[in-house]
Amino acid sequence: MTGVLKTAQQDHTDADLADIDRVLGGDAQAFEGIVRRWQGPLVNMAWRYCRDRGRAEELAQEAFIRAWKGLAQWRRESSFSTWLFALAANVFRTELKRFPAVDLPLDKAAEPYGAAVQFHALEEKSRNDVIRRAVLALPHRYREPVILFYFHEMDVAAAARTMGLPEGTLKARLSRARALLRSRFPHLETRHAEMEFAAVNEGKEA
Amino acid sequence: MERIKDNEMKPTEIDRILATEEPLIPTSGFLASVMERVREEAEAPAPIPFPWKRILPGVVLVAGIAAWGGVRLVRHGLPELGPMSLPMAHLPAAAIQPVEQAGWVALALGISAASWLLTRRLAGRSGLL
Repeated sequence: MTGVLKTAQQDHTDADLADIDRVLGGDAQAFEGIVRRWQGPLVNMAWRYCRDRGRAEELAQEAFIRAWKGLAQWRRESSFSTWLFALAANVFRTELKRFPAVDLPLDKAAEPYGAAVQFHALEEKSRNDVIRRAVLALPHRYREPVILFYFHEMDVAAAARTMGLPEGTLKARLSRARALLRSRFPHLETRHAEMEFAAVNEGKEA
Repeated sequence: MERIKDNEMKPTEIDRILATEEPLIPTSGFLASVMERVREEAEAPAPIPFPWKRILPGVVLVAGIAAWGGVRLVRHGLPELGPMSLPMAHLPAAAIQPVEQAGWVALALGISAASWLLTRRLAGRSGLL
């Protein structure tokens, strides 16, 4: 994920501004440049909201259409990416309210370790996938801060801007969400402590 | 860029899992599909604006009737209702009539307002507004 967001945000400002001016001047085709540059981040962001590839593309497409229609409303006070992400978050939130994705209570989220999983890599992938899906089982008010915090590479300020919330509020919700996830998957903390301990020991031996 | 710092926000295994996710590559047809919709939207006729000019006389008329009803109510209805201590059935017909009329006017206004709101809502959903 790191690459997708960073790559899109670097050196795109001028190109975005030029394309936006052309679109506002009546050249709809110029919007292609914007879609080309931002399709990766928006599809990935949508994916984190629903964990369904087809749905993620539908949501991202809807966000692009809204952005195209509302381009004149971007006041250029914030960066284009901030505006686009906030608009997309709004679209995803609204669309998923109408047709929800997974809406399980957290205690119904699957267990990370399946008996049928044989290989370590597959086991880890399966476990990670379960943890990521469990985010969608969080209560609504905690779910989105988690999605956006990790989408923005653990940048509280960026996540808060996208949600239109004060940073303190976002931090509080994030903290609560992380506590809920920790209580649902307590063995992950044990595992993390073991890994840290092993890393420290390895360092000492070296 | 503010990153997680304090103990409560200390990175954990959950952070590692949620922060390191393989990026999803949009399908090859995604860009074309978005641009096709953009072209469709661009070629679509502009939405019909709400006919405020046409509806303005109606709004003025309704407002006038409402004002008239209010005045009538204050002039005739309230003074006679003021000393009322008995149920309506015991009031003289002369006192009941203006109140009844005001009630009908209020009902008509309510229905008009509701139908106007419904129309606005339907037009909004269909993209006309």
